[in-house]
Amino acid sequence: MQVHIEKVDSKDQEQAVIKAVEITDEISGAIELLEGDAKGFAVSKDGKTYILKASNVYYIESVDKKTFVYTKQGCYDTKYRLYELEVMLGGYFMRCSKSMIINLKKVRNVKSQISGRIDATLLNDEVVVISRGYVKEVKRRLGIG
Amino acid sequence: MMISFAILVGIVIEGLCFTLFAGDSLYEFKMDWLQMVSIVLTGAVCSLPTIIWLTDTDIPKKKFIIRMVLHCIGLYVIVSLFGWLFKWYTQADGFIFMTVIYFAVYAFTWCVTLWFHKRDDNKINKALDDIRDEE
Repeated sequence: MQVHIEKVDSKDQEQAVIKAVEITDEISGAIELLEGDAKGFAVSKDGKTYILKASNVYYIESVDKKTFVYTKQGCYDTKYRLYELEVMLGGYFMRCSKSMIINLKKVRNVKSQISGRIDATLLNDEVVVISRGYVKEVKRRLGIG
Repeated sequence: MMISFAILVGIVIEGLCFTLFAGDSLYEFKMDWLQMVSIVLTGAVCSLPTIIWLTDTDIPKKKFIIRMVLHCIGLYVIVSLFGWLFKWYTQADGFIFMTVIYFAVYAFTWCVTLWFHKRDDNKINKALDDIRDEE
C-alpha cells in the first residue's frame, strides 16, 4: 500500500484517509492505532464523572475488583473492567501483568531484571513491572517481535 | 532440554580436554546408550529445581538471587549424584573436573541470558523512542 504524508500546521488539521479494497487485519490494526489516542472513556473522582482521553492515561490497575486509571493529574476510578479497557483502547495499551494495562507511549525506558521481568520507567518517573509472560507481546506491539 | 544440552556440552568439553591435554585419541571418545539415557534422565530431574525456584519471576531481585543460588546448588547435587550413579566419574580428579565444568557452564548460561536481556532492552528502548508522547 502506498503511504502519502502531507505536513500540516496544527494538530486540529491532522487526519488519516485510508483507501482500501477491503478492511484487512493490518488495516484494522492501523485504524486502532490511529484512533487510540482520541478515544475517551468515563472515569470518576470525588463523586464527579469525567471523560478521559486515552492519550492522558499512563497505566490502569485493578485492585480488589476495582479499576483505577492513573494520569499525570492523578488517579481516577472507572466502572470498566481491565479486559474491557484492553479491548476498547487497543493499540499501544497492553496488558503488562495480570492486574495492569500500560500505555507504551508513556514509557521512558525499560530495564530487564535478572529474573526476566522488565521494569518500565514511565514519564512521571513511576516504575511498573512488565511480567516475563508479556514481554513477547510488548515486542510484537512495538514491531520488533 | 536445556539442562540436558548443557550436560552434553560439559561432556564434550571433558572429552576435548582429555584429547588435548591427556593425550587420548579423539576417536576413542565414545558415548554409549546408557550415557545418553543418563543425560536425558538427569536433565529431566534437574528441571524440578527450575520449576520450584525459577518459575515465579515476579519477586524482588534479592529473593530471586537467593533462589538462583539454591537452584545452582540443587542442580549441582543432582548432577553429582547422577554422575556417581552412572559412572561419569570414578575418581576424585574426575569429580573435580566435573565440578569445574558444571560451574563454568552454569555461569556461561546466565551470562548469555543476561546478554539476551540487554539486547532486548536496547531494541525495546529504541522502538519506544519512536512512539513516545511528548510531555
